Amino acid sequence: MFRASKATTVLALAMVTATACIGGSAGSDGAGSEDSSGGPTTISYFTGIEETPALEAEAKEIIEDFEAANPDITVERESVAVEDQRTVIQTRLRSEEPPDVFGYDTGPGFAGVLAKADLLYPLDDAYKQYGWPVYDWAKQRVTYDGVLSGVPGSVEEIGVYYNKDVFDDMGFEEPQTLAELEEIASAVQDEGMTPFAFGDQEKWPAGHLFSIAVSNLVGPDGLNQLLYGGAKWNDPEVVEAIEIMFSDFVEKGYYPDDVNAITYEDANSLFYAGEAVMAPTGTWLVPEIDETVQDFEVGFFPFPALDDTGISPPSGVGGGLFVAKNTDDPEAALKFVDYLQFNEQRVKDDLERANTIPPFQVDTAELEVTPLFEEVLDDLSEAENPDAFGYNIDVLAPADFNEVMFDGFQEVLNGSRTAQEQADALQAAYEKAKAAGETLEQP
Amino acid sequence: MAGSGTNVVSRSSKESAGGIGRLTRGRRGRAARTIRQGELRTAALFIAPALALYALFMLIPFANSIYFSLTNWNGATALKEFVGLDNYIAMFRDPTLYLALRNNVVWIVLGTAAPVVLGLMLALVLWTVPRGALFFRTVFFLPFILPIVVVGLVWGWIYHPLFGVLNRVLATVGLESLGRGWLGDASTALVATLVAAIWGAFGFVTVLLYTALQNVNTDMVDAAKVDGATWFERARFVVIPAIAPVLTLVTAITLIGGFAVIDFILIMTGGGPGNASTVLGYYAYENGFELNRLGYGSALSMFITVLSLVAAVAFVKFRERER
Repeated sequence: MFRASKATTVLALAMVTATACIGGSAGSDGAGSEDSSGGPTTISYFTGIEETPALEAEAKEIIEDFEAANPDITVERESVAVEDQRTVIQTRLRSEEPPDVFGYDTGPGFAGVLAKADLLYPLDDAYKQYGWPVYDWAKQRVTYDGVLSGVPGSVEEIGVYYNKDVFDDMGFEEPQTLAELEEIASAVQDEGMTPFAFGDQEKWPAGHLFSIAVSNLVGPDGLNQLLYGGAKWNDPEVVEAIEIMFSDFVEKGYYPDDVNAITYEDANSLFYAGEAVMAPTGTWLVPEIDETVQDFEVGFFPFPALDDTGISPPSGVGGGLFVAKNTDDPEAALKFVDYLQFNEQRVKDDLERANTIPPFQVDTAELEVTPLFEEVLDDLSEAENPDAFGYNIDVLAPADFNEVMFDGFQEVLNGSRTAQEQADALQAAYEKAKAAGETLEQP
Repeated sequence: MAGSGTNVVSRSSKESAGGIGRLTRGRRGRAARTIRQGELRTAALFIAPALALYALFMLIPFANSIYFSLTNWNGATALKEFVGLDNYIAMFRDPTLYLALRNNVVWIVLGTAAPVVLGLMLALVLWTVPRGALFFRTVFFLPFILPIVVVGLVWGWIYHPLFGVLNRVLATVGLESLGRGWLGDASTALVATLVAAIWGAFGFVTVLLYTALQNVNTDMVDAAKVDGATWFERARFVVIPAIAPVLTLVTAITLIGGFAVIDFILIMTGGGPGNASTVLGYYAYENGFELNRLGYGSALSMFITVLSLVAAVAFVKFRERER
């Protein structure tokens, strides 16, 4: 027995030691050598896997096109699952060979953390040198502590996709008010269908609904007050937003049952299958909808006004491109960024094939796009005017606040927390993050 | 064959008792000195590669984790500000820690007891009824060789509120009212995840215990039978004591796994709804890698380490005393 138990102890020790090793090793912090001699060079590009296999294949073709146009530059593209990007990127940036160019979320909890850690290459000069024509509001989203540190990716908006055939059959127009929306929802329920394709198992989808409601209720100025000014996250408008989206709509049965057990993908599938009539989500879903939905026509409308304050659909830039501070060859890296984001043909291809809307003015009149994407483009035609839109809050909020937001909305959805309690928790989290210097500064 | 196996077990258990144990240690001491003179260098050479790997992948990261737990490092900055025991103080004031701990206790108790009891019963049945044993052993072992991601996904589908088998079966037998979104319901999320984990683990226990049973002296079992012992008594007093070392090992492995669990929670519930199914391991991961609080996450992982160490050592000591 003695021998066996000793072996057990050793095994136990080894196993618990393994569980303790969550910390990575600290990489070196040496500044990269600036090797811009102009000879053949290789840059690495780290990014998230594209939404569909077709887009993933296309992403590889883009690299080949760039290499053909720039024979002295080789690009090594590495793509990982989007949810793994966060874990990998910080370690990689501190390694001996950081990715020269990488795609990442632009929020303070994402690229903001990297900027604070001085891991991003400043791009003010590059913007001047290349004349990148990005909207001012979009540039602000990648400006940290006054330094322009990234190139915003695509402009996205959160709205509502709807089954046009069902709307036509039932004689409904795109709703303009909450009352009209509720009329449609209850009529749809009477037909045995679910009004909204919404699932919150991953927790983040609720952030989008919250952003819709808050943006509509307080408008862009109110949002600025919440994020940078004196407004509080437990003000009555915010409580009302939580109440409408996560209490009222649940009680009225507008979402599928067991909404916390349904994933974002499942919810979308309900919409694709015609079982749910409206899908409140972002414009990034256009290519997937166009590819998947064949049996009915799909339309897109901004979420209607919740009271008489009008609408401000959440919009913004989700991800962006960044250059590592330690890049070996900033010149080649910037050339690559310029190609990816601003090459005229690329922008056109992106719009037509991947339905990516750039954060700068482009002429969309001649484009060959699907009717659904045309509707989306139409909706976003005022994208240069920041006052027309609200924010997707989780992109602008610190990670701790988002955690409280996401966990708490699940609890409001299942009735174990009230809207007021959740709003109070949000305010407490925001104050804490602000005190720790984790919130964004007023642009 | 079976007889010699029993002898080994009884001899080693005698050695561990009192005076004989001391004598043995004395003899070993002299032997060790002889080895040191002649073969130390060779031994060191053989040990070095394993030791180097162990140091590189275990000891150094472990020491790093201890260091990180004393800083407020966010995982990105070069500067790691030393904050002393602040993370530990904050940790013990954090209500989520206690929620996670409670969930871990549920996981450890059910997640250890269920596979061990189930595995023991199945192993005994396979051992006593050898017909088809190979087939059933393979079938029982299959879930264990599946990657955890697959087990998690498959059970996620079983529990699925829209097209899951479980709700459908309940509806078919007239228990529709019990149907629910198992992983999205605060009252069932943890246990539902645990059931998937138990399903993934019991085959491993079964096969290990079945292998141990091959060394049990069947003559003794027969003798007990002749003496009038029931099936249960034979299992309790003859068979189980003979496989005790393996049983201890298996229990210890499952027990420690219970402290370190993260995979099933990560794949199936993400700790939700809210924090209803969060466990220490997941909470540490969430803090370290999703919330940019690597210092705090490291402190949490240290807490897990201490708990698992105490539990593992206590359990092994308890088993030793029982012997």
